[in-house]
Amino acid sequence: MEMIATLRADAAKLLSEGRAKLVIGYQARGMHRAPLFVSDPAKVDRLVYDEACKQNLAVYLRKPEVRVKGPAAIVAPPAVMRSLMVLASETQLAEATVLAVDTNAYHGVLDLAGVAALLKEKYADLAPPKELFDELAKLNAMSPEERARFWTGQFAKCTRCYACRAACPGCYCLRCIVEKNVPQWVSTAAAQHGNYEWHVIRAFHQAGRCTLCGACEAACPQGIPLMLLNLTISEEIAKRFGEKAGYDPAAKPVVGSWKPGDDEEFIR
Amino acid sequence: MTVATYQTAMMKIVTARDEAPDVRTFRLQFADEPDRARFFEKYRVGMFGLYGVPGAGESTFCVASPPTRTEYIECTFRKTGRVTAALRDRELGQAITFRGPYGNSFPIETWKGRNILFIAGGIALPPMRSVIWNVLDRRKEFGDVTILYGARTVADLVYKDELAEWGGREDVRLVTTVDPGGETADWKGQIGFVPTVLEQTAPASANTLAVVCGPPIMIKFTLPVLTKLGFGPKDVYTTLENRMKCGVGQCGRCNVGSVYVCRDGPVFTLDQIKHMPTTDM
Amino acid sequence: MKTLDANKLSDLAAALAAAGYRVVAPLKDGAEVRMKEWAPGAAIDIGPVPVNSIKEFLFPRTEVVAKFSLEGNDFKPEPFETPAPKTAILAVRPCDASAMAALDKVFNWEYKDDPWNARRAATTLVSLVCTAADEDCFCTSVGGAPDATAGADAILRPADGGKKLILESLGAKGEALVAAAGAVVAEGRAKADSPAQVPVRFDAKAVAEWCAGNFESPLWREVSLGCLGCGACAYCCPTCHCFDIQDEATRTESVRLRNWDTCGLGLFTLHASGHNPRPDQASRWRQRVMHKFSYFVEKFGILACTGCGRCGRICPGGMAIAQVCKEIDEARKAVAK
Repeated sequence: MEMIATLRADAAKLLSEGRAKLVIGYQARGMHRAPLFVSDPAKVDRLVYDEACKQNLAVYLRKPEVRVKGPAAIVAPPAVMRSLMVLASETQLAEATVLAVDTNAYHGVLDLAGVAALLKEKYADLAPPKELFDELAKLNAMSPEERARFWTGQFAKCTRCYACRAACPGCYCLRCIVEKNVPQWVSTAAAQHGNYEWHVIRAFHQAGRCTLCGACEAACPQGIPLMLLNLTISEEIAKRFGEKAGYDPAAKPVVGSWKPGDDEEFIR
Repeated sequence: MTVATYQTAMMKIVTARDEAPDVRTFRLQFADEPDRARFFEKYRVGMFGLYGVPGAGESTFCVASPPTRTEYIECTFRKTGRVTAALRDRELGQAITFRGPYGNSFPIETWKGRNILFIAGGIALPPMRSVIWNVLDRRKEFGDVTILYGARTVADLVYKDELAEWGGREDVRLVTTVDPGGETADWKGQIGFVPTVLEQTAPASANTLAVVCGPPIMIKFTLPVLTKLGFGPKDVYTTLENRMKCGVGQCGRCNVGSVYVCRDGPVFTLDQIKHMPTTDM
Repeated sequence: MKTLDANKLSDLAAALAAAGYRVVAPLKDGAEVRMKEWAPGAAIDIGPVPVNSIKEFLFPRTEVVAKFSLEGNDFKPEPFETPAPKTAILAVRPCDASAMAALDKVFNWEYKDDPWNARRAATTLVSLVCTAADEDCFCTSVGGAPDATAGADAILRPADGGKKLILESLGAKGEALVAAAGAVVAEGRAKADSPAQVPVRFDAKAVAEWCAGNFESPLWREVSLGCLGCGACAYCCPTCHCFDIQDEATRTESVRLRNWDTCGLGLFTLHASGHNPRPDQASRWRQRVMHKFSYFVEKFGILACTGCGRCGRICPGGMAIAQVCKEIDEARKAVAK
């Protein structure tokens, strides 16, 4: 537990030295892990990190009530670090103070450049667990009709609570497409047609940007296997563009920019 | 089956008049007599309805005509979004859906013999208009009638013809105003925000009640002036507007504290509002 | 007394289905348990608290409340179905059954909601006494109990160390259900197991009192920092009932829908003018707590929270309402010292 003690000490130091007004991290509440917002150096002992910490804390960096507290330091496992890279590449984040951690090691306090270097050095091969790839293979082996039935059945569970959207650092539109009604692009009813559209649209809006952190699936109260959907698209992006989101803070958006070597014939 | 609470009446648009940019008044007639009879059995001044276009949705407006006129109802609305745009696109003779009347009403019977001060701002004159006409249609039952109405600019004043009519009446004192900078070269009314003009006009508060309708910011600055002029909280009436959907006290959208604005309101006295958790109105 | 083996719930479901009931029961769903429509072969699991409440079987996530046929610019009202099939919901937790009282009030206090009332009338709730509770349960903090019978038409009591279930009717609907169960349920003897111990987590009355006097307190912002403004808590909550009315149309027909909605979303109270009475998550959280613990009590005389603990189990932001109430209770006590 030495690494968590060091993390806590660093957090306390950041606060007492005024380098951060707030530390965003994780706390344990019984079996649950919840975000923790610490502004008092004396309270850093509540900070924890283990594999049960599934939330992507990067979402809190854009929450107004958090931002108003002043510069924040954020406890970031690799998934969160990669989200910070995506946000930086999309000009959503100019700088960050990061307490970089994973289940085995604590890497100290880093800025965005330091995070980029760390990700390249130690976490270049991050991937979801093999089981997920096996599930995807099973899905891809289905006929289109079978696969459509699978997804229809899964999306039928959706209550349109938008926990997936809320938990995702990549979903930061001030007015989401489902919140526009002139025209009403997507039905807001928690029924088949709207549910299918919602999930496919959100997955596509994350294309090339999703770091497969899993926060959406963890947040879903209905047990929809969103990671399968995100992995489907992520694999397609990797195949067509060779890109993996969340490593380069200056990356150009994959589906928003064009390189001469790109697949599409029509643009030549 | 039909779901009784959401069953609508069919209304035909018999006249349409533009009051101001994007602001239109419809005169509507019930397509079916039983709907009309049922409506006027319940309608008291201050109540509202939900006006809709199938496919676009429903929108909440007050009934802008008084219960003393039972052949039609009127509503005035500004085009701001999907439903109001669809309503505005409806032509004369075409139908819209209507359900109502909902809400509570101004206790006009208790106002007999008293002086009445009407204060309204901008697009909030419509809810006031039904009360004004209700009072004017029964003019002898009430004391002095003063109307103070202001808008941002001359173009934004609604019911311009009726303003002229009210102003021309011997038994009504009308004060109109526009915000500084909103006047035209030939503007003959006051120039100043409604709360300021109210303070300058300084109507007497003895045996007088005030009815105030306006945007939250206007209400915020008008109420202290009324207090200063000696109006007690039980003698000041206002309408609280809140986003509404069901209109029948179930969907929760219009909740303010334990009150459903659509059922316990929209008419409230200042005394009632003082006990509600409205941080701003 | 009427008893059945605890592992014979599928037989009970089958008997009820044969008697014409649509049967809803807690079913295994991957690693979780969900209240779902039962079909032969489905595995019933009465161990964990189901992830969802029974709300959706009486108040669907989306339903038609008006329908029109369209022809050019003209339209005509059309009839439509509001299904209210005879339903038996098995193994309902007492916290979910007691939530019926709150919803009955909302849907009947002035205007009577036909779909709600039709489904209520057609549904028989068979509660299950909880013999285990988890750290999120807090029924006893809000006037409930793991063996409460409020809202139930019949109750299943685990007995003989969980091996048996005692089925007790609590009224006419319960009698009918027991009769329909037929031979699945037999006369016998069994000793009811002790209900779970659920410690009181906070003083609900004191919380409501604090709320009434602290509307502008900065504590609201602090306790709601974790909230990301989704609807997961409201939708899994057995008493949350707010809804939206939306029209959808094709060229030839339009429907007016009633869809679940939540005061937790920013657009809920947004006015057409752009003004929003609850412009931030802090004011929306204040509304959530005060609606359930204060305003609802003021208007209807009962709490709008039954302590099921679901919000605590599913919220990624740690926003269990019990946790927020605990923090308010602690803040209140700290000031009182």
